[in-house]
Amino acid sequence: MDNLKYSEILQLNRAMFKDMHGRPYHVKVLSNITVNSIKELLEYTLHVNKINPIVKLGNYDNIVQDSANCNDDDLVIVFYNLQNVIDGISSYFEGVNDELYISIKEKICNEIDIVFENLKSLPAVIFNMFSAVEFVNSYFHQSKIELLVSDLNRYLNLIKPLHVHLINTEKIISQVGVNHAMDLRLNYSSKAPYTLTFLKKYLGAIEPIILRNTGKLKKAIIFDCDNTLWKGILGEDGVDKIDMSGTSHDGKIYNYIQQIAVFLSKRGVLIGLCSKNNEHDVSDVLMNHPDMVLTNNFIAIKKVNWNDKAANLRLISSELNIGLDSIIFVDDSSFEINLIKEQLPEIITLQVPTAIYEYPNKLLQIVYKYFNLYGNQADENKTEMYKQQFVRESFKDKFVSIEDYLSSLSISLTIHKDKLSFVPRIAQLTQKTNQFNLTTKRYTENQIIQFVQSEDDFVFSISVEDKFGDSGLTGLCIIRKNLQNSKDVTIDTFLMSCRIIGRNIEFAFIDSIFDWLIDQHFETVTAEFLQTKKNDQVKNFYEELGFYVENNNTESKRYTIQLKDYERKKVEYIEVVIKMNEQN
Amino acid sequence: MVDVSTEIKNVMSAVFEVPVEQITEGSSADTIDAWDSLKHLNLILALEEEFDISIPDEEVGNLFNYKLIELIVNECRK
Repeated sequence: MDNLKYSEILQLNRAMFKDMHGRPYHVKVLSNITVNSIKELLEYTLHVNKINPIVKLGNYDNIVQDSANCNDDDLVIVFYNLQNVIDGISSYFEGVNDELYISIKEKICNEIDIVFENLKSLPAVIFNMFSAVEFVNSYFHQSKIELLVSDLNRYLNLIKPLHVHLINTEKIISQVGVNHAMDLRLNYSSKAPYTLTFLKKYLGAIEPIILRNTGKLKKAIIFDCDNTLWKGILGEDGVDKIDMSGTSHDGKIYNYIQQIAVFLSKRGVLIGLCSKNNEHDVSDVLMNHPDMVLTNNFIAIKKVNWNDKAANLRLISSELNIGLDSIIFVDDSSFEINLIKEQLPEIITLQVPTAIYEYPNKLLQIVYKYFNLYGNQADENKTEMYKQQFVRESFKDKFVSIEDYLSSLSISLTIHKDKLSFVPRIAQLTQKTNQFNLTTKRYTENQIIQFVQSEDDFVFSISVEDKFGDSGLTGLCIIRKNLQNSKDVTIDTFLMSCRIIGRNIEFAFIDSIFDWLIDQHFETVTAEFLQTKKNDQVKNFYEELGFYVENNNTESKRYTIQLKDYERKKVEYIEVVIKMNEQN
Repeated sequence: MVDVSTEIKNVMSAVFEVPVEQITEGSSADTIDAWDSLKHLNLILALEEEFDISIPDEEVGNLFNYKLIELIVNECRK
């Protein structure tokens, strides 16, 4: 993906949807930043590996809440970025006092606990480790952010369940360079801190995990011999002139390659030879050459003859009883590599690079992508047991349910009515809010002013605060009197910014509005849901509140409710402050 | 050498998943259904990569129609 342009990837990806069949692989990406550009890149990565992708992005900044709805997913990826945490503190983070630091750290650790608990039955979870490298100001002093990152990463490593993979984000950023990985401009405007360069690298980093979890790992590497495992051509240079010595300038690269092959063999990878040579010449080298590292006991199969290599590889596949798509083939010859690419396209090929010093790295890149080299089952089990015990002990004092967690946030709502000074922000909310928006009516400032000043319309707005900061004006409800029936009102607009979704704030808001309506002697409320591409999540909102559905049209539903029949939702942990009589 | 306007249209076609023939001089966020704020980000990233430019912060929010895009891309390429 690294050498493809983003627009090319988009086009290729779209085309691949047509040919893709097979069991869908469900991936969800949860984040507290905008990282939507990853969707198509992730789909492409899955497509290339012949996996049928269904990729969904979670709601903005709803990591904890979204993690409760992932039970049907095969993989969940979590981007928990500290930018949001820093922005939520009103002062410069470096000046934060110990008490606040500890409560921030604990809040995040609690969230991690809940997320891991919610995702415990998933096949695989990828959680990005916290990163501070984008906030560095000093090279000899550890800042508070760096301390926080260090504390949080230590916590992650301590409690993470076996199926959770931690990605070292800082390593990725340093590979690419902070300036190439982070986009301050889009971070500022849209909370989208990561560049395409970073995202592409990131996908390369997680690809092995995906391959491991979808049965796409390889089982064998088959090596040519001449100029692949040693320098020189055995049949021409003779056994004395081929070079694989660990101390010679030319030989040591090949020596290293052989060391890697031995390492793989010990880790359960099948190593084989496929070479056009006389069989006894190669056997002689394997048994008697003083510098040979990859000796017979590490080799699972040999096809040393003068037959074509495609035929040989087919034999290797059947004799080892593994699919052709489980094999990696390494050769220096363009002829052989192209032959295999054409005849056996399922085989992954690696051509020994002409810049020979690149050979070990190129081999290692492939090896780390396609083989699972870590973990001995017994060791993993023991470690897992220790971790489970630790988690069990510490869980007793922690919040496990979403309700408890939400209570701990000390959410408070301030409700305003008909406040002129809020008009610009209110108009903006109607223009920008798409998801939690029941009717998606767009209003200008002038129109809002009309509503505010009219005796027959009521504009309720809410600002939300919690333990960590103020989200600002983030919810709106415009109520209009029914001019034919003075006891009836209609909800013209009900919306909430995505910043405050997932905390039951909408119920506390409605409770308060309806209390006010009852106080004002209104009797009935009518409402509407107008479906758009974006507001699916609120299609049953009014049903949940107990409204009666007057028609059964999914695209535009009409509702009504008698206020005396309304059952308050009573969200215990949200404090409501009514400021409806304020002068503007 | 493909000319700038064709390249821009190719990029837009890829980002919004619309056949390139449907991208015209008059195309804008109003005429292309898929053009929302999230896809807009993708568009910025794709244009910057395609033309190896960096679009200034104050222009990012203006690029909601083909004509403006062409204008700003050419400006940035200088």
